[in-house]
Amino acid sequence: MTGTREAEVARSFVSLASSLVNGYDVVDLLDELTSDCARLLDVASAGLLLADGRGVLHLMAASSEQTRQLELFQLQREDGPCLECFRDGTPVSVPDLDEATDRWPQFVPAARSVGFASVHALPMRLRDNVLGALGLFGTAVGSLSDDDLALGQALADVASVALVQDKASADKSSINEQLQTALTSRVVLEQAKGILAQLGGLEMAPAFAALRTYARHNNLRLTEVAQAVVARSLPAQQVLDHARSRGSSRA
Amino acid sequence: MSGLDQLRRDLGAAMSGAETALAAADRLCLACVEFLEVDGASVSLVHNGSPQGTFGSSGELSRRWDALQFTFGEGPCLDAVRGGIPVLAADLADPVEQRWPAFRGALLESGVNAVFALPVAIARSPIGALDLFCHRSGALTDRAMTGGLLAAELAALPLLDLMNADVDWDSAGQSEDGWQQLASLERVEVYQATGMIMAALGITGTDALVRLRAHAFAYGLTASEAAWAVVERRLALDGDDWRVQPHLPDGGTP
Repeated sequence: MTGTREAEVARSFVSLASSLVNGYDVVDLLDELTSDCARLLDVASAGLLLADGRGVLHLMAASSEQTRQLELFQLQREDGPCLECFRDGTPVSVPDLDEATDRWPQFVPAARSVGFASVHALPMRLRDNVLGALGLFGTAVGSLSDDDLALGQALADVASVALVQDKASADKSSINEQLQTALTSRVVLEQAKGILAQLGGLEMAPAFAALRTYARHNNLRLTEVAQAVVARSLPAQQVLDHARSRGSSRA
Repeated sequence: MSGLDQLRRDLGAAMSGAETALAAADRLCLACVEFLEVDGASVSLVHNGSPQGTFGSSGELSRRWDALQFTFGEGPCLDAVRGGIPVLAADLADPVEQRWPAFRGALLESGVNAVFALPVAIARSPIGALDLFCHRSGALTDRAMTGGLLAAELAALPLLDLMNADVDWDSAGQSEDGWQQLASLERVEVYQATGMIMAALGITGTDALVRLRAHAFAYGLTASEAAWAVVERRLALDGDDWRVQPHLPDGGTP
């Protein structure tokens, strides 16, 4: 581990810890966390899949807005390492996707076609419950180092803790309810991104950046801003203008 | 195949082939009776807190039970829609059961001792409920409850259809596996596209989703495929007749 990377890891955990203590928006935090994974670990892309009450996986956060990558995460509702990891509650390592074609006939070709060569899936657990899986995609063949896997699991653990805010009543139905709330927040965020994208002629990534910038500068939670945009109580143009004036619409 | 997968398949299969939205809803209710160990089932619509009527039922008796809620202006269906959560009454005769005095009395008189209302939602907004009626008191088994929740999700399909008269139910019901359609409802691109349509046409999220799905049905696409076309701007959103542009090269973000 290089000195710079060590400092970056420390910075990420300090930032996560501070969020957990000071209050946070689940969607925002999990999005940061997948970006942290992609930056700190030897992987190109990271995504979090969460299970709803029926055990169906949904994309909760991803380090990339690239549509074909999002598709790849969602495809794992049917087959793939994240689904298997979620079902068994244990990590799934695939150092070379080409050797796993029989295992996941849908997933492997899709992953190869967007340039991925390896994938590691880590379970998101809270005590006895498996909440979902963290998928880590690499463009080169090979296993992640033990250090990287341990760090990835630590980030997945933080995500699990962040998701279930009311840990006192951590029974299955209470957990399901909280996961559902998180998933619903994601839905509203995606709608708000769509509204900004359409109005401002933007791609989804800068639309997301505009929402985030507006939330941060106005000391609001990302989900609140997204809800206000969708409910039209906050004019979408105002969010776009704000982001433009800060020069962050290209973030 | 797990029992749950089988149940999902049975419920979905019951609806496919129905020629109208109403027939599909009736068939779904009949499938609930067949597969979920209940004695009656109905789907009703609620708009802005007021009941819009029974949309589908497993039979005339269930339809009458369902309609009682609208007669009395109270019942688990209305509560389920209001709260967006399942409302369960496993023993209507239990003296501690204080909810819906008029509706409860009428149901008991006609031999119904338990009723379960599961919200039916479009774009996460509850717009109706699936009611399950049982002669005997007692909670639903886990399997019946899970099946009921699956059926309540499926019930959204014909409702979507009803909300837009232009939808070609034949192609929706026959050519597509209902579950595939439903799964697409949960995908991020569908929500992104919904937002874009909301902004382009100045309509609500529910209406935008109906428009998107209507377009998908009309062109034989899944909701997800239609959503990609919107998100990748291959579909011009202005006007009533959306035009689809040819597919962009893969991976290209326009």
